[in-house]
Amino acid sequence: MTMEYLEKYRDGRHKNWKDLWIVGPIFRTFKLLVKTTIHRPVTVLYPYEALWNPDNYRGRPALDFNKCIGCGMCAKMCVCNSIILVDTPDDEGKTVSRPQINIGRCSFCGYCAEYCPVDAMTVSPIVELAEFTRSDLIYGPRRLAYEHTTEGMKVKNEVTLLSDYLNGKGEIRHHFASIDRPELESAKCISCQKCKKVCPVDAIVMEEHGKNAKGRPILWPIINNETCVTCENCIEACPKDALHLKEVC
Amino acid sequence: MTDEKITQIPDAQAIAEGAEVTKEMAAAYTGSTMDTDKMWIIMGPQHPFSHGLWTLKICADGEIVTDADPIVGYLHRGWEKEVENRTYTKIIPMADRLCYAASMTYTHLFCMTCEKALGIDVPEKTKYIRIVADEINRLQSHLMWLASVGTDFGNYTVFLWSTREREYWMDMNVRLCGARLTTNYPRIGGVRNDVFDIDCDLPNDEDHSRFLRDLVRCCDHFDKALWEIVGLVDNNSTFMSRMLGTGIITREQCANLGITGPAARGTGIDFDIRRDNPYDNYDQVDFDVPVINSGDSYARYMVRVEEMFQCTKIIRQCVQKIKALGRSAPYRLKVPSKIPAGRTFCTLEDPRGESMMYLHSDGTDHPYRLKVRSPIFVNVSASKPLLEGCRIADVPIIMAMIDMCLGETDR
Repeated sequence: MTMEYLEKYRDGRHKNWKDLWIVGPIFRTFKLLVKTTIHRPVTVLYPYEALWNPDNYRGRPALDFNKCIGCGMCAKMCVCNSIILVDTPDDEGKTVSRPQINIGRCSFCGYCAEYCPVDAMTVSPIVELAEFTRSDLIYGPRRLAYEHTTEGMKVKNEVTLLSDYLNGKGEIRHHFASIDRPELESAKCISCQKCKKVCPVDAIVMEEHGKNAKGRPILWPIINNETCVTCENCIEACPKDALHLKEVC
Repeated sequence: MTDEKITQIPDAQAIAEGAEVTKEMAAAYTGSTMDTDKMWIIMGPQHPFSHGLWTLKICADGEIVTDADPIVGYLHRGWEKEVENRTYTKIIPMADRLCYAASMTYTHLFCMTCEKALGIDVPEKTKYIRIVADEINRLQSHLMWLASVGTDFGNYTVFLWSTREREYWMDMNVRLCGARLTTNYPRIGGVRNDVFDIDCDLPNDEDHSRFLRDLVRCCDHFDKALWEIVGLVDNNSTFMSRMLGTGIITREQCANLGITGPAARGTGIDFDIRRDNPYDNYDQVDFDVPVINSGDSYARYMVRVEEMFQCTKIIRQCVQKIKALGRSAPYRLKVPSKIPAGRTFCTLEDPRGESMMYLHSDGTDHPYRLKVRSPIFVNVSASKPLLEGCRIADVPIIMAMIDMCLGETDR
């Protein structure tokens, strides 16, 4: 390994241009003239032609309305608080909760797409987002749709469990596949069923565990590990902090 | 203080009432009977030389600069306070915003600090991918610096050629991370996506990545192109007469002021964290650290240019190592969201010097305190020794060799 540049120009004593007097510079200029004349253009005429962007380019977030389960993971992970959940009628007229994004606040970090458990949110390569008013910058759930979502736009979200890696296994798995699950501290549970109501995928069923002193049934939530998406809504909804996330690493 | 000197002009009352300023009055103010007065000139915060929002006050005696006083803080956003309310995951995109020219190094540093606090050793492939990402950012940061040096000299060709070459590295950045500047690529315990997963809509072999192929092509192209750009500078007598022998600082001054990075290596201090205290897998990579003893502007310029040549060497070696590890190697670990209580300290070689992060965690999912040490905040304190005795026309060139970045300085 050598440092070619330093060897050649160290202490500014090269003075090659003086050795040849005017011949050297003229030769260099002519060489450059030929080169710049024949090479391809470097810039593009922007409004008429656009630069090529790769598929994974992080532009405006895009939403697949019917794939979305309304778990609010994107709103929780949003760094700029630009995402809120709004109530919208779906195709069948039922009111569902879907994300609405204020693009004026968005920092295009791509977290909403990365942490979406069902890959409903992606980042589209759209960059032309200028509008005349600020209210036009707020994208509702229907306006967020982007039809040309390709495979390259999806973040793969693959992780290796730390314990697996330390044991030398190194199996790559999906971020949300059977890893973190809420765990119940049954002594604190008051059978209010709030966790069941907020679950976006209906992964929680209430199971009866005997009767209390007043003769009412004691209900404990049972979480279905197959359908749970680790959105932590039940943990936030619990009034007695009976649920907490058990992290598997 | 100089400010008091200006305001407390003797006979200010008389002057305000319309009296003529006599020679004696001026002599009482300046302390000399000579006709030339020392004058404080304020350059900035909006000045073509400053490359950001900061002020340089210089005291000029005629054409000669006798004193300098940098003022920073116009871009203070309360970054360190702001991150205390965020989870560790949400700090990563904020760390990008510390330095717009080399965002990857700060994100990398933050993730490294958290990993150190958790006691995690990231996988081999992650380390090499991070080195590649860091070196791409170092290259594009140095090219942006070279471009701005060109405009400071009034040479627009250097600017255009440097930005043209920089576009190739920006394209590499986009393909790797999905964004040009605010990359948001490293994660605590790994990186966002594998280099083999890029362009997955195109036909890819099992262990062949188009990104890595194009990266090597970029290096080959850049090695030739950089010789052309530096040929414009090194063969130009205007550039040379401005840079040779101006802004000299000694090794001792450099060490006392705590200057790091290319500015320190230009004065003969042979220190580079990548080699002397290697993080990630820099100890597995063969590269040279350029050191020049002369300590003038030209030395700092040469160190940066040679660093760019070394960057391509590092990238080529890392590409070979990543290819050898293959697609199936893990690149991202799942780590706990809560960091145990304790204090962690981590350093990294930024394009501009030595940046550090000091994390005080309290066992929750957000930091109790996160301190950032910016190399430029320290380096700009050398304004006075750098500028003393130089001419006013040389000020932009000498300060350009510090490569100011206000995002990280003011935080």
